[in-house]
Formats: sequence, structure tokens, C-alpha cells
Amino acid sequence: MSGHDHEGEILRYRTRQRIVHAVMASSFLILLITGLALVWGPLAFIAAGGWSRYLHRIAAVGFISVPFLYILLDRAGAREVLVESFQYDHDDVVWFKKMYRYALGRTSDMPPQGRLNAGQKLHHSAVIIFSAVIVATGIVLWGFKSSLSPTMLAWTAMIHDLSMLALTLLLVGHVFFTYVYKAWSSMATGYVPEDEMKLEHGKWVEELEHQVATGSES
Amino acid sequence: MASAFLLDMTRCIGCEACVLACKAGNELPVEMQYIELIERTSGTFPNLVGGFENHRCYHCTDAACVAVCPTGALFKEDGLTRLDRDACSGCGYCVQACPYGVPKMVGGRSSKCDACASNVGAGGSPWCVTTCPAQALQFGDREKILAEAKSRVAALKDRYPKVQVYGETQAGGLGLVLVLPDDPETLDIPADPPLVPVTVDVWKHIVQPVSMGATALAAVGAGVLGVIARRNHLAELKELEEQEKAGVAAGGSESTEEER
Ligand code: HEM
Ligand code: SF4
Ligand code: SF4
Ligand code: SF4
Repeated sequence: MSGHDHEGEILRYRTRQRIVHAVMASSFLILLITGLALVWGPLAFIAAGGWSRYLHRIAAVGFISVPFLYILLDRAGAREVLVESFQYDHDDVVWFKKMYRYALGRTSDMPPQGRLNAGQKLHHSAVIIFSAVIVATGIVLWGFKSSLSPTMLAWTAMIHDLSMLALTLLLVGHVFFTYVYKAWSSMATGYVPEDEMKLEHGKWVEELEHQVATGSES
Repeated sequence: MASAFLLDMTRCIGCEACVLACKAGNELPVEMQYIELIERTSGTFPNLVGGFENHRCYHCTDAACVAVCPTGALFKEDGLTRLDRDACSGCGYCVQACPYGVPKMVGGRSSKCDACASNVGAGGSPWCVTTCPAQALQFGDREKILAEAKSRVAALKDRYPKVQVYGETQAGGLGLVLVLPDDPETLDIPADPPLVPVTVDVWKHIVQPVSMGATALAAVGAGVLGVIARRNHLAELKELEEQEKAGVAAGGSESTEEER
């Protein structure tokens, strides 16, 4: 049921999903900057006083809470992103082969995509995996540093930093596609233009229409 | 050329002149102190052996602190371990990793002997060495310092049967060679601190700049490509809209019935 003010638009993210995303994005960006200050000489002055190190820990609590928050606020949404991100069909394989076209802003002859396109699946699943690694190593560096040998300490820190690198590169791509495909509204208002969704997520729109036709809740 | 210190525990009289000279010469704030004299003894009273350990950075060749330091604030130079406090982020990894418990956190940053980097760099010698009245401290070319330590040990064999050179091999060889009157363990000095593979350090120094470069490149590339790609996409949408309009005008579009 889309309201009158959302004529020609469809709901892509519920308010609670957008809150979870905002918590994740803001805590990540704080972690990125305060983390960089810990490992990069030119920014070290931010960390040396100590306050940014506390901020890093506060943001870490926010970041760690994201999956729990998602389950708490929108169980169905959490399930969807977890399940769909790790399921690839034949269209997705073809999509990856033509991905360079998609990256150039051309959707017309891409294979039809579901709610998440293949690239989003790859992004979300990689985010889930690297987030798990960064949280695990981060907890070790936070609470169990003193029981690590210098070698283990160096390795743990390096894995932590490299996971952050991976997430940062993923973020560059994420923001890139958000900009190219004007996707910002899906996180700002939750709604997106229906005709664009038909083009970019054809199978999803069909599915929604089918659900409306058969009267099942979406 | 590697430099090194000689610390002769059998000569030190515990006068603390080095402690003060270090603080004054390096203009250290009150809360900072690089040398700590620790009394180390072994045996029981009449046969007491011991002296003052001149506890400060041991300038390990394979320095654990350098291996774990993410900012590069700690680094090796002429066989000595330098600390650039301005680049230190205060992460505390070095405090955790040093097998000799040397670095301390002062004012949110690591603090330890940097072998008088400014003074020695300008051709002078370390303050502590200059000031020692008992010739317990020396500084110079590591080979010569090792030779000096060995000859002192040879001369002391009669007085201290277990006298020995410490630091020739520990942690890849220390930049601080000690003359110990007894076995290190009995004086509470680790006989052989665990080695940190240098690979971790090499990794860090290659991985970090490459990572920063890759991220910057990706961001710039995405910025440029983004402008082009968005233009393409908008053109595509416009074309689609026009097609649809044309379709509606002609009276028959297939799948947009429900909405309009
Ligand atoms: C500040 C920059 C960011 C912007 C502008 C942004 C924008 C967006 C947008 C527009 C969507 C919806 C895409 C769609 O239509 O499906 C989205 C989804 C998503 N973003 Fe971001 N995002 C940002 C930061 C992040 C960060 C830092 C992360 C994780 C480290 C992240 C992880 C995700 C995930 C996992 C989803 C899927 C959400 C779900 O299915 O519940 N985003 N983002
Ligand atoms: S003694 Fe400690 S602080 Fe000094 S070089 Fe060795 S590991 Fe680093
Ligand atoms: S506290 Fe400073 S010197 Fe020590 S490891 Fe961290 S950045 Fe390096
Ligand atoms: S070498 Fe310099 S900095 Fe190190 S203890 Fe001696 S006087 Fe202090």
C-alpha cells in the first residue's frame, strides 16, 4: 500500500531498515577516521591525546550492535539481506560478465535482476564477511591484547587493518553506484521510482506485482 | 654502520648521574624519564653478586616494538631504535610487545630512550655516556663495543666466575651490550627474548602505503567514472521515458497498465 504522496514509487527500505543502515554507515565512518588516526603518522596527533581512541571504541559498540539491532527492529529485512546476498542465479553470472557496462551507467541490456542485483549481493555479502573479521580481530585487540605474543599482535592488527581496507574499497564502489543510479532516495525516503526499478530490478517488480495480484503481503 | 652502547654492570655505582643528564640534556618534561636504575642481585649475603641494571631501551636489532608499531613512529637507524613521538598515535602496541618492558605511555604517547637522536646525529655523544663518572657507559661502533665488552669480561673472570657478555645475539643482537656479573636469569633479565619475524614489519611497510594509494586511486577513479556513468544512465532513462511516451501516444504499452 503506497500512499498518495508516493505515486509512481515503490517502497524499497522500511524506516527501521534505514535506521539500521544509518547506524552502520555512521559508526563505520567514525571507525574509519579514528582507526586511520591510530595507524597513520600524519593523523596520529588526533589519537595521541586519547579521545579519538575512546570514540573508536564507542563507534565499535555501535558497529557490533548492527546485526542485533537489525534483528530486533526488522527481522524479515535482516533475514532477506542475509539470505539473498549469498544466493546467485544464472542471471547474476551473466550480470557479472557484463558488469563493466553497468558500471558505465548502461542497464538496458543487463539480465533481469531481483531485489538485489548481483553487484549488490557481492557488496553485501563481502561487507558481512569482512565485518565479521573486523569485529573478531577488533575484540581481540580491545580486550585480549596483553595475552598476545608480539608476533600475534602484529598479525591480528594487520588482519584488522586489511579488513578495513577491504570495507573501504567496497564503500567506494557502494557510494559510486549509489550516485550513478540515483539510489540515495532508497535510504533517504525509502521510496524509489517504479519505472527505474523495472529497468534495474525487473524480477523484483514482477514479484511485487504478483504478490499484489495474489493478495499476499509484501 | 651499527652503533651500540656498552653497559658495564660491574662498574656502575648507582649514582644516577646518567638519569639526570638524560633528563636535562634531552629537556624531558618532569614526568618523562628514560633510564631507570634497577638493583639486581643474586646469591645470599656474604656471596652477593649484582649491581645496577641501567634499564632503558635495549635497541634490539629485531625490535618487537618496531615490528608492531603501525605508524612507523618507531624505526631502526644505525642499529639503534628511534622514536618519533610526533608520529606516535598512542596505540600502546609497543608497550605490549617489548620483551624488556621499556616503552612507557606518557601524555598519550610512547616514551623511551632514542639514543639521543638529535645530539648524536649532530656528531655529539649520548648525554648519559658523557656524564658517567665510573666508565660504566660507552658508546660507539658496535664491533668495537663488543670487543671492549669481551676484554672487560676476560679481565673480570677471577672476581665474578659467571661474568658474561649479554646482547651479542639476543633479539637479533642488541644495540646495547651488557657486562653481566652473573647469568641473566638470576638477575631477572630474559636470557633469550622471543624473536618477532621481520616479515610482519616488511609487510606493514609495503601493505600500508599500497593500501593508502589503492584507496586514493579508487576514490579518484570512482569520482571521474561516476560523472561519466551517471550521465550515461540519465541519458538512458530519458530515452526510455521518450520511448514510453511514444508508446502511450500510439495507444499500446504492454506492462504499465496498472499504474497509469
Ligand atoms: C556514507 C555513505 C553511504 C551511502 C551514501 C550509502 C547508501 C546506500 C544506499 C542508497 C543503499 C540502498 C541501495 C539499494 O537501493 O538497495 C544502501 C544499502 C546498504 N548499504 Fe550503504 N551507504 C553508505 C555507507 C555504507 C557503509 C559504510 C556500509 C557498511 C560498511 C554500508 C552497507 C550497506 C548495506 C549492507 C546495504 C543493504 C541494506 C539492507 O539490505 O538492509 N553502507 N546504502
Ligand atoms: S628494548 Fe624494547 S623498546 Fe627497545 S628496541 Fe627492544 S623492543 Fe624496542
Ligand atoms: S604507541 Fe606509538 S610508538 Fe608505540 S606502537 Fe603505537 S604508534 Fe608506535
Ligand atoms: S642515550 Fe640519550 S636518551 Fe638514551 S638514556 Fe642515554 S642520555 Fe637518555
